Order: sequence, then structure tokens, then C-alpha cells
Amino acid sequence: MTAERDVEREVEVEYTRLRIPFGPIHPALKEPVLLRVSVRGEEVVDVDMALGHVHRGIELLAEGRNLIQTLYLIERICGICSHSHTTCFIQALEEIGGITPSKRALYLRTLIFEMERIHSHLLLLGVIAYEIGFDTLFMFTWHVREKILDLFEKITGNRIHHAMNTIGGVRWDLTPRMVEEIDAYMREVEKSVKYIHNVFMDGTVEKRVCGLGVLSYDDAVKLCVVGPTARGSGVDIDVRRDHPYAAYDELKRDFSVVVERGCDVYARTEVRILEIFESINIIRAILDRLPDGPIRPKENVFRLMRGIPEGEAISLVEAPRGELLYFVKTDGSGGLKRLKVRTPTFSNLIGLKPMLIGCEIADVPVIVASIDPCLSCTNRLIVIDQERGESNVIDVDSLRHRVRRRWMRQ
Amino acid sequence: MDYIIFILEMIIFPGVLFVTILSLIYEWLDRKIYARLQHRYGPLYTGPSGILQPLADIIKLLSKEDIEPEVADRWIFRLTPIALLTLPLTASMYIPMLELGRGLVSFEGDLVFVLLLLTLYSVSIVLAAWASTNRFSSIGGIRTAIQLFSFEIPLVISILTPSIEAGTLSIGGLVLWQSRNLPFIIMQPIGFIVAFLCFIGELERIPFDIPHAETELVAGWATEFSGRKLALVRLSMDVELLVASMLLACVYLGGGSGPLLPPILWLILKSIIILALMSNVRALLARFRIDQAARGAWLILTPLALIQTLLAVTL
Repeated sequence: MTAERDVEREVEVEYTRLRIPFGPIHPALKEPVLLRVSVRGEEVVDVDMALGHVHRGIELLAEGRNLIQTLYLIERICGICSHSHTTCFIQALEEIGGITPSKRALYLRTLIFEMERIHSHLLLLGVIAYEIGFDTLFMFTWHVREKILDLFEKITGNRIHHAMNTIGGVRWDLTPRMVEEIDAYMREVEKSVKYIHNVFMDGTVEKRVCGLGVLSYDDAVKLCVVGPTARGSGVDIDVRRDHPYAAYDELKRDFSVVVERGCDVYARTEVRILEIFESINIIRAILDRLPDGPIRPKENVFRLMRGIPEGEAISLVEAPRGELLYFVKTDGSGGLKRLKVRTPTFSNLIGLKPMLIGCEIADVPVIVASIDPCLSCTNRLIVIDQERGESNVIDVDSLRHRVRRRWMRQ
Repeated sequence: MDYIIFILEMIIFPGVLFVTILSLIYEWLDRKIYARLQHRYGPLYTGPSGILQPLADIIKLLSKEDIEPEVADRWIFRLTPIALLTLPLTASMYIPMLELGRGLVSFEGDLVFVLLLLTLYSVSIVLAAWASTNRFSSIGGIRTAIQLFSFEIPLVISILTPSIEAGTLSIGGLVLWQSRNLPFIIMQPIGFIVAFLCFIGELERIPFDIPHAETELVAGWATEFSGRKLALVRLSMDVELLVASMLLACVYLGGGSGPLLPPILWLILKSIIILALMSNVRALLARFRIDQAARGAWLILTPLALIQTLLAVTL
């Protein structure tokens, strides 16, 4: 089908049904995705999804670099859960190379991980408030979030891409003063999140989030959704408890997995609010029991990198949005043969369709936001729209071929 | 000579120019209050405390490229921004600013006429949405129409109830009556609340900014307007805000009546109080859905307005 005919079909308006393009560029979306929403009156009758507007080819790029370079590259997959990605990748490398990080390093990784979860959840709560037209709550939530970014800067030197992980450990240590600061901030954030929780239970907010975007338990299991989206539908899964990594094995008693059975937007929101409290508990436990010791091996990272043999490993972490999976296959000379990333949004996006059908146009943004979509992480369908006006689906191999040819020419 | 003074009054003070400048200041105030309630600063750099920001926005928009969609209904699309600005400006002439008893022009029954102008404003919005033939605009226009049907009736009832008591249908007459007796907000508090909420709905402000809810409909009915047309649309919204808050101040707060200060200052003061209330509501609530807004207007506001009328008639 040519692209032109596609546009024609879009313009054609049936009188009973109107197709609204929700995206790829839309004020409610922070990243591009195209939801073609068919509506009858204000009711949504069908949803069609199209991805691929920001495909960056990171998996392919990673294959042409060495492991240290890849570590910094994959941090850029996501601007919010960057630490989850590096942790997941590093874990696979350490498994292949047989390297065990010190206890302190594992605890510090977990600390950043949980701080990142607080930051990511606060971000989403703000976005949900913004989608329902509650700008004051949005501003308030992000005001709280701003301070945790400052804290990140104090600990790692960066607000967003922390670059904390390295092979066999972490790059920065905590000073006693930082411990105090984190502790003080946790008290503050606990107070603020309690307030935010109250506001979310307020009448007008409740009107806009309760009973919407229902994803039943059966659907959630059938569609394999992960993370808070699944937990909001009563599915009791959490990688941190089920397959403990980093220091979570020792912190098992310090947190519980939040599961809500409401199945609607409010349940998914509340899971995130309560998870912030759990994260605060974990962070307090970490600060209490932070073991002493080195934070990284004495050896040079490049020597460590070259020491990693050929092999493959699968690594799982619980990113703020849900289960993040990496398949890593090394080539034994400091490079990668294959990298495969399965981000949580990729699993969750498919759950949108049962949520959206039957709702109203006004509810589309908040339902889309409620799965916390991180779309740039998800784009992997390669559809190339050519100058000739054709659109072709190109398989990975031929794309790889083209990219290499272009590289060669340059 | 009288004619020249009348025309000058019409154009400069307290006519078009004055109302336009005042409405830009009102927008600045609204943005400032709203921002302070959200831990923000609001406009800051243009002029002292950013007071010139709304004017700068308008000037910027005037200099921007004006794009018309190819399939748009040209003439309606071009005329509606002008109509949108003209209607509230005309309505502002009937607000008694300089004297207590009468506005720049006034006649017995101008209260109904001003309400008609405000209704026509909403009708022009529907036309503008229809003419721009954009999917977001169409839905925004439909929502404006639904909101018009929902809020118009309680609004008219609650604005006209004071005139039963005062026995006059002119805004000036109401103000004069209130300067001799108590303001109507004390005698008819329910009516004031209903009128206040209905005006928020008519002005399409949070929580009733459903017709141009940006996360759902981009800019709603105004999506296709750009450049000069958007400048006119923006300005018209400011003027309508001014007219609505002044009308409410006249009908319920006694307009320009008050000790010491001249009437115009009292009127501005009272309308700023209403503006601040509106900004507070804007900061306090989330946006309703269109069905929730319509249901609220028909099932809560209309009965309340009727109860107020019954109370006013029987007491």
C-alpha cells in the first residue's frame, strides 16, 4: 500500500465514526507513538497502534563497539531508568566473566536503583496529574522530584545519566555527609508523597481516574504485562522478590510487593505511590546496613573487559516500569556478538488496547500515561518511508547491510 | 462636540483601548496568581514583574506567519476571530465603568443584551471550529456547544434573578439599586456561586477547559488558528474574562458603588477579587470530563439557580 493512499483513507470521515490521530506529535505524549483512535461520538471503538518513529538502532550500534563503550551507549536507551539498563547489562557481563562485585558496590547499586524508582514514579504521577488537567499537582510533584535529581548530582555527578556502574562495581562512593543528606531527603519525600496520595484521593481527581482503563486480571496474565501495570491488575510479580539481584536478596525483609486489585488507572497510580514508600524503606535499610569495603576491583576496567570470555547470559531487573530483560552474547575479545533488550513498555503497550476500548476521548491520555510508556525504549519496528513514496518493511539483516555500506562510504 | 467626545470615549477611555489594556493586565494577574499558587514565578522578565508579557505575546503572534488550511471554509475562518474579539468588546461598552448608573451606552434591558453577546461568543467558537475542518477543532467545537447548552440556562437564571428583586433589567439599574441597598452576594449567595461557576464554564477555564483540553485535543477549537488570527483569539479570551468578571462584579458585588474611591476603581477592585477567585479554582481542581460537566450543570447548577429564584420571589 502506498503512503498516499493511507493518508486518503485517514481523511475520509465516516459519519458514525471519526478517526483521531493521537500522536505521533501530540501535547499529551512525551515521546512519539501513533495511536489511531476511532471514535463514535466521544466513545472509543477501536485503537490501532504504530511504533517506529524514533528507532535508534541501539542494538546494532552496540555490536560495533567494545563493552565499556556499550555501557555508556545503553545508558542512553532511557532517560529515566538509565541505571536499570546499565545494571542489567553489567549483571550479564559479570555472570559471563565470573566477576563478583563487593557487598558495598551491590548495596550502592541498589541505592541508586531505588532512588531512580522514586524519581521515575514521581515523574509519572506528575504526568498523570497533567493529563487530567491538574497542573498544580503536576508542578508540586515535579518540585519534589527536582530535589532527588540534585541528590543524584551530588552522589554521581550527573542528574539523569548517572554512569554509576562499571564492570565489577560502581564508580562513586558515599561519604557520611551524603548519607545524612539522603536520610533528610527521605523524610521530606515521605511527607510530600503522603500529601500527594491525599490529593489523588480527592474528589475531582477520583472522578477522572477511578474505574477507567480496566485491564482485568485474566487479560493482564494473558497479555504478559509487567511491573506496576500488572501489579495494578492483581498479578503478584516483582523481579526484586522473585529473582533477587544486587543486594535485594539481603533486603528481602525490608520491603513488600505492592499489589492492587482495582485493575483501573487509579489502582496503577496507587501501586506507584505505595511503591515510593517501599523504596524509602529499602533506602533506609541500605543506609543502616551499608557494609564497608572497596567499591570496585583494583584492576583496570579495560583489563577486566578483555578478560570476559565468549559466552552468553540473560539478565533481569525490575526497572521502575517493570521487568527489564537483557540477552548479552560476548565475542571474547571485549566486544559484543549480540545484544537484545526487552524493555517493560514493550510488554505493557499491548495491554493498552483492552484498556482503551469503550472509554471516552477525554480518558485516552490518562490511560496511555497510566502504563508509564517509555516509547523511545520500545521502538524496534523498522519501517522506512522512502522518497519514492513507498513504505517498506525492512528486515534487520538488510538494514544492517545498508548501515554498514553507508559507514564504509563515509 | 458631543459626538466627538462620545467617539473618543468609545475608542480610548473607557472604550476599546482602555478595555484592551486592562484585559491584558488581568491576564497577567491571572497568570501571576496561578503561578504563585503552584510554587512558580510566572511571567518575570518583560517589564516590571513581567507585566508586559501578555502584550509581548500578542505582538509576537501578530508578527508570525498566518497559515490557513486549504480545506478550511475561508470566509468564516477569517471572520470568526474578528467576531470573537468584537463581541466581548461590544459587551464591555454596556458595563457601567465611569458612572454608577450607566455604561458608555446603555438602555433598559442591556443586561439581557450583554448575555446575548456572551452567548454569541460561544456560537462563534462553534463556527470557528466548524470552519477550520480539523478533527481536533470539530470535537472541540462540539464540546463548546455542549458546554453552551449546559451552562447557559443556569447562568441566565442566576444573572437575571437579582433583577427580579431590583425591578430593573439594566446593569446600571442593578448597580444603583445595590448602592442604596445591600449587594446581592449577601442576599443571594447561591445565585452568586452558580453564576460564578457558569462563567468559568463559559470562559472555558479549568476545571471546565474541556473544549481546548490540550492533552486530549491539542488546542481544541483553536488548533488551526495561527499568527494574527490566534492573536485576536487570545485577546478576545482576555477581553471576555474582563467582561465576565466585571459583569459578575456589577450584578452581585455592587459594581462601582463604594465609599471614597471613584466608581471605576471600585469596579476594577471588585472584578479583580472575582478574577483571583477564578485563578484559585483554576489551581485547585482537575479538569472534568464533558459528560461530568454537563451532568453537573443540569443536575446541580440549574436546580440551585431555580431554588435561588424561588427564594427571591417568595421572600
